[in-house]
Amino acid sequence: MIRITNNRLSLQEIMFELEDNSAGALSMFIGNVRNRGRSGNVSEIYYEAYSEMAEQKMREIENEAQTKWGIKKLVAIHRIGNIKVGESSIIIGVSSEHRHEAFEACKYIINNVKARVPIWKKEISKESQKWADGILLE
Amino acid sequence: MRSDIQDNNKIKVKLFAILRERVGESEITITAPTGITVNHLNSEILKKYPQLKSFNNKFVTSVNCKVTTGDTIISSKDEIALLPPVSGG
Repeated sequence: MIRITNNRLSLQEIMFELEDNSAGALSMFIGNVRNRGRSGNVSEIYYEAYSEMAEQKMREIENEAQTKWGIKKLVAIHRIGNIKVGESSIIIGVSSEHRHEAFEACKYIINNVKARVPIWKKEISKESQKWADGILLE
Repeated sequence: MRSDIQDNNKIKVKLFAILRERVGESEITITAPTGITVNHLNSEILKKYPQLKSFNNKFVTSVNCKVTTGDTIISSKDEIALLPPVSGG
């Protein structure tokens, strides 16, 4: 399941999606908004996406992970809009037969989502708002 | 008939993040000749919106959700977007 959403992320829903009796391993990455950014204190982050392209790119990354590691199930959900410190902006979950594939696929997916998916973040504090430096798409 | 031709030459361009903020619109329309390339379109955009000149070479252009090269020819039916460096996750 690939999704860009304005809603709070639900771990319970994601765990349900990953259930698979043939999977002996489940690996998960959760990205949270932290209270310090490059420009100082952060109270929240505003995320913006080119949703149609972002979901296409995330499916492309999913297919690559599927080919490389033969994973059983994958969930990748990115939240957009204003997200407060401590809340989650992204959750990647992978289930596979054994742990090696789940760990590797999870790492591959989050690294590639950060580098290849058209999503932008702006760090917001009481004093300032600043778009994060990023990676130019290829 | 004349207005159809003019409509065909109007290219809509989506803007995101800092580019959207600098222009104040999430979508702009550029009137351009038939057979325009991505490079030509970008120079027309910078002429019309000089506030984006400092971002030249700091964004890529996507056509129908794929990042493309400057010599790609586009039409008014294509979905065009200017994408600054990404920072998701």
